[in-house]
Amino acid sequence: MNTLLRILVVVPGIFFTCIGLLWLIAPANAAAALGMPLLDGVGRSTQVADMAVFFLALGMMTVLAAISLKSRWFQLPALILLGAAAFRVLAWLVHDAALAVEPIALEVVVGCLLLFASSRLAEKE
Amino acid sequence: MRYVRSLRLLLLAVTGLWHSLLLAQAGPPNIVLILADDLGFSDIAPYGSEIQTPALNALAENGVSFTNYHTAASCAPTRGMMLTGVDSHRNGVPNIPETIPPELAQYENYRGTLSHGVVTVASLLQDAGYHTYMAGKWHLGQTPDLLPSRRGFERTVTMADTGADNWEQKPYIPIYERANWYADGERTTLPEDFYSSRFLVDKMIEFIDSKHADRKPFFAYLPFQAVHIPVQAPQEFTDKYMGVYDAGWTALREQRQSRARELGLVPATADMVTMSTTNDWDAYTEEERRYHAKRMAVYAGMVDAMDHHVGRLVEYLKSIGQYDNTIFIFTSDNGSEASGGDDVRSPLMRLSLAMNGYTNDYDTLGLKGSFNAIGPSFASAAAGPLAYYKFYAGEGGMRVPLIIAGEGLPVKGEWTSAFAYVMDIAPTILELSGVKPPGRYFGGHPVEPMTGRSLLPLAVGKVDRVYAETESVGYELAGNAALFQGDYKLVRNYLPVGDNRWHLYNIATDPGETEDLSVSMPERFVLMQTLYADYAADNGVLPLPADYDATFQGVANGIRERFGLHILVALLTLLVLVPLYFAYRVSSRR
Repeated sequence: MNTLLRILVVVPGIFFTCIGLLWLIAPANAAAALGMPLLDGVGRSTQVADMAVFFLALGMMTVLAAISLKSRWFQLPALILLGAAAFRVLAWLVHDAALAVEPIALEVVVGCLLLFASSRLAEKE
Repeated sequence: MRYVRSLRLLLLAVTGLWHSLLLAQAGPPNIVLILADDLGFSDIAPYGSEIQTPALNALAENGVSFTNYHTAASCAPTRGMMLTGVDSHRNGVPNIPETIPPELAQYENYRGTLSHGVVTVASLLQDAGYHTYMAGKWHLGQTPDLLPSRRGFERTVTMADTGADNWEQKPYIPIYERANWYADGERTTLPEDFYSSRFLVDKMIEFIDSKHADRKPFFAYLPFQAVHIPVQAPQEFTDKYMGVYDAGWTALREQRQSRARELGLVPATADMVTMSTTNDWDAYTEEERRYHAKRMAVYAGMVDAMDHHVGRLVEYLKSIGQYDNTIFIFTSDNGSEASGGDDVRSPLMRLSLAMNGYTNDYDTLGLKGSFNAIGPSFASAAAGPLAYYKFYAGEGGMRVPLIIAGEGLPVKGEWTSAFAYVMDIAPTILELSGVKPPGRYFGGHPVEPMTGRSLLPLAVGKVDRVYAETESVGYELAGNAALFQGDYKLVRNYLPVGDNRWHLYNIATDPGETEDLSVSMPERFVLMQTLYADYAADNGVLPLPADYDATFQGVANGIRERFGLHILVALLTLLVLVPLYFAYRVSSRR
């Protein structure tokens, strides 16, 4: 059971890492996958750098959680994901963004999975 | 044959001129604009329906009826264009606000409320000395500055939402907290004995009666709730149609097609398609068929009741001696409504209705507390013999009845197959009343000029068309789009019922849109797509977001409208509490 849970945690970690790498290798494709155009000039610089580091950090922390079983590595990416879901709802409510149901669902599910895994797998620190 | 037709036109022109002179001598006529809601092309007796509509029959016999009149395929865009004569993408109402995605709603003309950059026909008539009254559904904005009392109507009682219950002051879907009714710009409460059609006509009679003595002409705008969902009717009206629909929707659609051919509403050779959403009547059990037949009986009862109350208004006008100086315009805001599905007895459907305080039991169907809709199969019959229905750009969504009638008109019981469009109503009313359309400015503010055409030359028999063969009229609503030119129509019906691809039809010979001419007439197909692109660019038509789904958007917008503040407070509270919790945990470990 615990092994299966560790695998379930690693899978989204790898997925997020791949998206981070995609931002570095093919940013136009990465942008399109997230429903945004690739900007020009300084905008593109910020877009590529910030999005790449966001997803790479998220992915690495998640993978690290499954390897190290330290609770903080579970909780940090969980907080980031749940925060992203909350801010998506906020963007919809306040800033006329679309209600992105599928990304919100993914973020909430993986965030909750990480918190659950933390309670089951993490060593006492 | 051509000489006979020319002679007839000449005679009509002479009588038309004579009647125009009579109209001018009698002073400006009263104008009664009656708008049914979601009424299909063949839903009234003059258009081949089995539903008894004697008042509308009498109007049709006293004027001209249009077989090729097109409106927008959804409520608010029709109302906006009808009252202003301005394209929906220029008047602020390209779609109903409930389903406009937020990405588009940030643009000024995509808010779904009537822009202050347009002037209503009511404002123009009021300026010209008319009394202007409205009783019925508005749906063009409900902030104080957008209500009809601030858009040219002197006296109003109005419901500001997409729809509402017909028996009580209650929202019909949970996206509304309450049914938003207003009287003269202030929130109001409906009477205990409320039934929508009766109440609206009572109020209109009350308005007219209150100022009748001063002899000024009036403009009465009467947009009924009938026959929008929830489809509800007094029992005695429903009872007239029990048993009438026992043969089912396919039989009814064929019956309506046959009648439309007999009446000459469509060519005798015109075919029709079976919609993919039409279910197999024979596959239902006897009990299920009995239930569905009653759904349609209630619908017919609701149309009949509306007609009964139109008749009361006509009788009232006769009683005060104003009938002879009144021009009536009757039409519908779009084709028949298909929502509700045909699986309405499922536990999930009944649970969702119960959560909104409704049942759909057979015995009480159509009465107070009951929610009824005819569903896609009967909706297709109601639009018969046309294809598609409300929301879609197929003829069944856009082609609806239009009758212009009155003692002052020279044409009696005539039909015209001339193309006419919803934007033509406002210019027609202005010409009838002798009021000039607005220029570039109204009340010192810049306004969009009217682009519709007056249909009066058709109504007095002076011409046989108001749009030349080469002129084109474009249309777009939530991805459903069309371009009309001469006898041809370029059309794109959006998902889920349409395929989101362009098709070309000759709607004069093939109003059922059965034979796609896009391959056999490639030059016209390309030309009309180019003309549509020009229309879209000229009028600021915006592309829909990818994967747009009107139903989902309606739910999302409804949640945001009703619960947005609650969600926002909950989120902000969480955003404060979570860091505090983690800070507490870290400090307690030290």
